[in-house]
Amino acid sequence: MNVNNDLNDSELLRSMLAGNEEALALLYRRRQGGIYRFALQMSGSKTIAEDVTQEVFLFLMRDGHLFDAARGSVNAFLLGVARNHVLRRLRVEQLLAPLGDDFDDDVPVLHATSDLCPLEDLTRAETIESVRKAVLSLPSKYREVVVLCELQDISYAETAEILGCAIGTVRSRLHRARALLLEKLRPSMETEEPGSATVKSARCFA
Amino acid sequence: MNCQRFENVVSELARGQMMAAEQRAEALAHSDACENCAARLGNEEMLTRGLQTLAAEMKTMAAPPELENKLLEAFRTRDAVAPISRRQSNSRYWLAAVAAVLLIVMSVVAVRWRAAVDTPQQAITKAEPQKKVETNDKSEVVVDDQTEDVTPKREIVRTPSRRSRRPYTPQVANHVRNEIATDFIPLGYMNAAHFQDGGRIVRVELPRSALANFGLPVNMDRYHEKVKADVLYGTDGLAHAIRFVQ
Repeated sequence: MNVNNDLNDSELLRSMLAGNEEALALLYRRRQGGIYRFALQMSGSKTIAEDVTQEVFLFLMRDGHLFDAARGSVNAFLLGVARNHVLRRLRVEQLLAPLGDDFDDDVPVLHATSDLCPLEDLTRAETIESVRKAVLSLPSKYREVVVLCELQDISYAETAEILGCAIGTVRSRLHRARALLLEKLRPSMETEEPGSATVKSARCFA
Repeated sequence: MNCQRFENVVSELARGQMMAAEQRAEALAHSDACENCAARLGNEEMLTRGLQTLAAEMKTMAAPPELENKLLEAFRTRDAVAPISRRQSNSRYWLAAVAAVLLIVMSVVAVRWRAAVDTPQQAITKAEPQKKVETNDKSEVVVDDQTEDVTPKREIVRTPSRRSRRPYTPQVANHVRNEIATDFIPLGYMNAAHFQDGGRIVRVELPRSALANFGLPVNMDRYHEKVKADVLYGTDGLAHAIRFVQ
């Protein structure tokens, strides 16, 4: 059975549950990237990311009827499932402690860009690496909002659907997460910009 | 705008989020005037750039292609297995439905059977008070009707309902059947005709010597034992008569 590429996720899911293999293939190609990246950014492990992606789509085949369009989009549903799997895996593997330098060997390789000079390229790669490590070292409740809102560029409302909390909670967690990230990245930022003033808690009266 | 309010919006400002134009202008004006807040905004913007760079770097990352094949294979296998499991679950439902129907039928049969068993017993219990009336003397009839008036009424009113299937055997009737009692002996100067005014019987235990007070023989071997007696209280609350029971 051929599936129209214009079908939205809900229609594809319905078609898949009716036994259409092509609908599954299309839905997978459309959503696997986001799920894989979410799991990778949350765990820092390609193995976990692959496992979680597989688990999410197996869950969709088995329990796809649990999706309720009134409660959110298919993408939010899938990311919610992915989040549960990631957190479970992290609990099992006791990776909730700050990862620091003890990353897996299978962490994604950051590609150098050809349009920058080697020094800039190196600086850029170092920046990316330090930001990635800082994100991974956040507590999971802050890490997930950073991954969803900042790295996946998902709106506050959809993030709230995925996490099952209020939009205000998402906003405040993101604010706190960014403050934590700044704390972690401060040394590298200071070396990067020696002239920039550090943030002080003292109040100004301007 | 002050630093506190600036702190609340600095993340949104650095991320380029939608916000009221007036608020944005105020925040930018404040950061121009306040060195600390300007640095704070600078750090936030740098963090935003760092996160955007990381996101852009990972944008192309995806699950390995063989995963799709694995999942599609699993989907095909599931399709092959699913109808069997569906049939199994259907048969389970049918079994459960048949069991439920059987249970209902058996309960109905049990209820009817119990009702059939109850009916003759009730007929017997209904008949018993009538027998007693025939055998007892006049005074007993009067007293029993007044004291245990609830019992016969219950038996008459009782219909074979679901709540009260158990055969009712009135204890007093059994007492009357099994006990030997004297006639009621008036206390004081009460006329026997007053017994018909109604009243209440109270079962009491008295010293055996009380028999002697009413001119009844006393077994001296059982002198220390007590004797049962029914005291008839009138509607005025006074004891009108007594009878001894064995």
